[in-house]
Amino acid sequence: MNPRIIFANLIVKLTGFYREKTTMFFTFAFPIILILVFGTIFMSQDSMEYRLSVQDLDQTQASIDAVKTLETKGKFKITTVDPAIDARQYVMDSKVNLLLVIPKGFEKYLIQRTTFNDNNASVTITYVYDPSSSSVMTKIQILNAVLAGINQRIAGKPPFLRSAERSILTRKYRFIEFFVPGIIAMSVMTLSLFGTVDSDTELRQKGVIRKLSTTPITRTDWILSNILYNFTLAVISTIAMLLVSYAVFDVSLHIDAWLPAFVLLDVFAFVGTGMILTRFVKEAQSAAAAANAISYPLMFLSGSFFPIELMPGLLQKIARTLPLFYVNEGLRASMIFQDNLAALKASAVIGVYAAVVFVLGIMATKWEEGT
Amino acid sequence: MTKEAEYAIEVDRLTKRYGDLQAVNDISFNVSKGEVFAFLGPNGAGKTTTVEIIETIRPFTSGRVTLLGMDVTKKKRDIVQRIGVLPQGFSSFDRITVRETLQYYSRLFNVKTDIDGLIELVNLRDKAKEQYKNLSGGLKQRLGIAIALVNDPEVVFLDEPTTGLDPRARHEVWEVLLGLKKKGKTVFLTTHYMEEAELLADTVAIISKGKIIAMGSPVELIERNANYLALTLRPVDDKVFEIVRQMGLGPVLDTHKNIRVRVEHTYDVQKILNAIKESGAGYLGLDVRKPNLEEVFLKLTGEALREVPGEMETE
Ligand SMILES: Nc1ncnc2c1ncn2[C@@H]1O[C@H](COP(=O)(O)OP(=O)(O)OP(=O)(O)O)[C@@H](O)[C@H]1O
Ligand SMILES: [Mg+2]
Repeated sequence: MNPRIIFANLIVKLTGFYREKTTMFFTFAFPIILILVFGTIFMSQDSMEYRLSVQDLDQTQASIDAVKTLETKGKFKITTVDPAIDARQYVMDSKVNLLLVIPKGFEKYLIQRTTFNDNNASVTITYVYDPSSSSVMTKIQILNAVLAGINQRIAGKPPFLRSAERSILTRKYRFIEFFVPGIIAMSVMTLSLFGTVDSDTELRQKGVIRKLSTTPITRTDWILSNILYNFTLAVISTIAMLLVSYAVFDVSLHIDAWLPAFVLLDVFAFVGTGMILTRFVKEAQSAAAAANAISYPLMFLSGSFFPIELMPGLLQKIARTLPLFYVNEGLRASMIFQDNLAALKASAVIGVYAAVVFVLGIMATKWEEGT
Repeated sequence: MTKEAEYAIEVDRLTKRYGDLQAVNDISFNVSKGEVFAFLGPNGAGKTTTVEIIETIRPFTSGRVTLLGMDVTKKKRDIVQRIGVLPQGFSSFDRITVRETLQYYSRLFNVKTDIDGLIELVNLRDKAKEQYKNLSGGLKQRLGIAIALVNDPEVVFLDEPTTGLDPRARHEVWEVLLGLKKKGKTVFLTTHYMEEAELLADTVAIISKGKIIAMGSPVELIERNANYLALTLRPVDDKVFEIVRQMGLGPVLDTHKNIRVRVEHTYDVQKILNAIKESGAGYLGLDVRKPNLEEVFLKLTGEALREVPGEMETE
């Protein structure tokens, strides 16, 4: 291994990439376009799901505070509805799928309960909802959780199921926040796979590799510089995707060391896969076809675009055997849920896959004429 | 370090088989330091196979090959530093310029290269900032030669440096190679152009079907194998052919009704011309030529060096 040679190689590859404007455009712009398009399509759904209409019939300080609590604890966007309007009619007429009604006497009963310890004093919050709406049940669950929290606080006892409550709230994420890690995993995969397959078969076919084999560069230098090259592109692409996601959709994603770790593992796994492919596919064109044949099923079966829970059971089982699935899982575990244990598990799986494939890839890479 | 060898390249009883195919068949030769050594042979003769074995990038079946005294199977790392290679059908990174390409290869060797001097040497000054993919065939080959020189190698291998070039581009490459020869580099050249071998080589080895069938300087080879003069006559009438035939010289008529005769000395030519004159017959044209390596090859193998004679002129 020779850092000077690896660096020289990296520079040549990056320069070539930079001058190949169409490749550069597709590598960087395509995932961003996907994010913009899908982010926009699902944006309305996101906001509808967490918009909450509230009709406050009490109109007291206590009821106003309660609405505030809903807003902060449940992260709802609150629309207040005039107390004079008929609740049922309102839900039917407007496109709202749920209206929460705070009854008259809310403050009065609250004071009875808290100040005079009258355990018979209670208030019924009514959900007027449209059961045909798919997202309304989620909303009711969140509301229930928030109300349970409020009840507990009023009861004055520390919540026994504190972690359960948190889990319901943190799992609430927007589609775009689910989508972006999937697109990062996918585009790092494609750029590594295609970058390796395209450039390796082309350089081999043109005899550049043969020329290099008469110079001091070794196979290891060559492969390491490829890794470094793909990782550089992956990092640039990931940063670009995140910047757009933050700027346009104001995503809330958690970024820590797991992100570069998974990007690197993604690069290793698919540069390795690419090297194995290159060994068996001689022509540059069939190599690209083979890379397509691998990457498309991976994209659609690994939950890059939607949760695999939406797929039939058999496909879910298949997904769990695919490397990209674990990159998706790992990135989402760290970026959405901040679940280090889940990220660790995913990284172990993809790490083993990457190691195996990479070693096989090194063995498969022919440097000198073998015959 | 190995002792300084007498020869730049020593090949002893080298054999290379690809499955059943005997690509190189028990060949031996030495290349002296400072000489231009040419492997002349048709397609598939085994030129590239032999060259790449010497360059350490191809394994072989049996025999012994040393380069600057080092065994090619054991000293790859040392050898690579001291040789320069223009592979057959050379190609480079499409989007990288001439200068950047030379810098890149120079970095691989970790040497200080006089890049400008090299660019000057191969006459690419105006194209230094041109990307590889925009260069014409001849310019690409010249860049390839410059790359082969970045590490100031002691032995330079050029595998068919002018194949596929038009005559002008070919002559420009030859200019560059003559410059190399002047600098006293040891050059191992393969070609199927006899003109190229004749112009550049100190020693020519003619290779056919994996065997070296003749070796020596171009002049020696011609004297040894084609020591005659080729006389071509364009006669006025059929009588002339009869006259030459009666002189016992075995003339042949070619497709253009020209009479072709081989004679040993110039006075034989004189004799023929006198006989024609005396008989009152005449000729419209006359050509006397010394044979070249093409004829040597033809005589030795019974095959033409290239499928299309005159390919060079028509390209
Ligand atoms: N890797 C290989 N596997 C099998 N056969 C090979 C291989 N390389 C070359 N050959 C065969 O070995 C013979 C010699 O090939 P080689 O390339 O050495 O010839 P050459 O003299 O360089 O010809 P050319 O002028 O076409 O370059 C040919 O018949 C060729 O088909
Ligand atoms: Mg050849």
